[in-house]
Amino acid sequence: MIESVVIFSALTLILGLILGYAAIRFKVEGNPLVDQIDSILPQTQCGQCDYPGCRPYAEALAKGEAQINQCPPGGQEGADALAELLDVETLELNAEHGETKPDHVVYVDEKLCIGCTLCIQACPVDAFVGSSKVMTTVIAKECTGCDLCIPVCPVDCIYTNELKPTLGTYVPDLKELARG
Amino acid sequence: MANYTFKGGIHIPNPYPVERPEIKQAPLPEQAVLLLQQRVGGEAKPCVEIGERVLTGQIIAQTTGSLPTNVHASISGVISAIEKRPIPHPSGIDAMCIVIDSDGKDEWANIKRCDKDFLNCSAEEVTQQIREAGIVGMGGAGFPTHAKITNAEGAHTLIVNATECEPGIMCDDSLMQEYPREIVRGIEVLMHACGAKKAIIAIEDDKPEALNSLLMYNFNDRISVEQIPTKYTSGAEKLLIKTLLGVEIPPGAYASEHGILCQNVGTVKAIYDAVIDSKPLISRVVTVTGSAVKSPRNYEARLGTSFATVVKYSEPNDQEHHIRMGGMMMGVDIPNPDYSICKITNCIFVNNKESKPVVKECIRCSSCATVCPANLLPQQLYWHAKSENIKKALDYHLMDCIECGCCNYVCPSNIPLAEYFTFAKALDRKLKFEEQKTDQSRERFEFREYRLERNKKERAEMMAAKKKALKEKMAKDKEKNQEQEDKIAQAMARVKKSKEDNA
Repeated sequence: MIESVVIFSALTLILGLILGYAAIRFKVEGNPLVDQIDSILPQTQCGQCDYPGCRPYAEALAKGEAQINQCPPGGQEGADALAELLDVETLELNAEHGETKPDHVVYVDEKLCIGCTLCIQACPVDAFVGSSKVMTTVIAKECTGCDLCIPVCPVDCIYTNELKPTLGTYVPDLKELARG
Repeated sequence: MANYTFKGGIHIPNPYPVERPEIKQAPLPEQAVLLLQQRVGGEAKPCVEIGERVLTGQIIAQTTGSLPTNVHASISGVISAIEKRPIPHPSGIDAMCIVIDSDGKDEWANIKRCDKDFLNCSAEEVTQQIREAGIVGMGGAGFPTHAKITNAEGAHTLIVNATECEPGIMCDDSLMQEYPREIVRGIEVLMHACGAKKAIIAIEDDKPEALNSLLMYNFNDRISVEQIPTKYTSGAEKLLIKTLLGVEIPPGAYASEHGILCQNVGTVKAIYDAVIDSKPLISRVVTVTGSAVKSPRNYEARLGTSFATVVKYSEPNDQEHHIRMGGMMMGVDIPNPDYSICKITNCIFVNNKESKPVVKECIRCSSCATVCPANLLPQQLYWHAKSENIKKALDYHLMDCIECGCCNYVCPSNIPLAEYFTFAKALDRKLKFEEQKTDQSRERFEFREYRLERNKKERAEMMAAKKKALKEKMAKDKEKNQEQEDKIAQAMARVKKSKEDNA
């Protein structure tokens, strides 16, 4: 009788210690669901979803505070992918949050720029190069096309430039192939 | 005869055979439209302006990228435009071109000649001459030749690809019959440039005249001529190496890693022209054939000549035509003949317009797997490509597909399988690019958040430090004032005391 009590107490103690150690050693930082959602979002960082960036929107989605149809740059495909991940019924894109625009980047008409730096402050990915009272320009490679810089420009010198497919990025049309 | 072979492939006889493939000189074009973007490498930057007069052979555009190719004026005349024009590409996307209006004189620029025999030049000097001449792979792939030579440094074997395996094309056949001496000499130049000890010219056994003419002019015992069985896709680089040497180049690896350099026979002729004759690449031999022309023939045409100009001499009929650049298997359909000959235009098919066969469902007959020279399962790849499941397609070795079109040819349901694989590859490229871009945006956004937070903290710390310094200063000042006041009080007391003493 005493033996079994000792054995089981010892086992409990050892297993408890292992579990306690594992809980510390393999602790998951943050919510893994947020990362999964974030990897689906287009990372435009435009804020059209009413959250200040893609990650905050992902966090809200994970908590169930936001709808899956609030991301215009992700398009309907993005909403469908979110629905599949979260195992919910897919929703049609909410027009209140804006419409899906074709892929584009912005550029600054450098002749008109007055160097006010407002666009630099508005850019969520630091894609602008410039300083106070000098001409500003956009690093096209880093622009996400969020258009946040356009409304803040006091002289309206920021324009959008649609990204047309080039010989290197052209993808044939699948529907055309099926037709033969 | 070669000892080895490869699995798959198909045998298609030339659909429009001719008695003897001759080369006809096409007249100088009235206008030359020269493409700045080659199939591989970046777009060349024009170094001439509109209105400038240029001479034949003059460099008009250059690139500085990793795979640079020079563009030369193919006729003498005046630059009339530098603008986007439609180019022979399945996308129908326009690309930058330089347009030269001919003055009809064909006046040549003074091209610097190498005053030494090529054997007295170093390999680098010869490669540099090839680079200056703007030579790219003339078989259709268009890879810059000098880069390929540099990559294959220390190669032991040079393979000259004269298989011309795509049915219908006969420009290399005619080249070998008309210029055997130049080709052998060009091979010697190339062997000198890459350091290869031996060279093999591979010819399919349906071109006995070309074989004989090469044998007649080949006095170099380091160069051998090998006949290989006529089978489509025998000209694909890796398959050709397997057929000739029995060496299998694994997927993802290059022939150069195995000490082998492969060059097309047309490229070899261009190298001869560049190194021995000091002529840059300004013309090429183009086959015009198809069901709508009366006399299929080869033309030596200046680059930039419009298709219509050369097609005219092959007497096309009056019906509506369907035009295709390149071979009947791997070529590109183009909407009209207003395109111009570029460095990789080896053939122009002019066929009578026929309605396309109806595409039916896949019946899983696996004929495509039987003929696939890359040992793939096209019927499986097809499902994954169609459903845009790129990951699965990659698992089925999508990237090993050489897009030869054998599967299309045998498919009883007329499914354009190779086009599906081209689509899947393009989609994979696009998705990879997008992923890279979103990762970059995420990183930059997170860094900005961190930076703003850090700035806020730093500012708060700076303010706190300032406040503290001010406080200390005030305390110090107070102390100082106290001292002063004490001193004054003491002085006052002293005065008061002396006043009282005096009184």
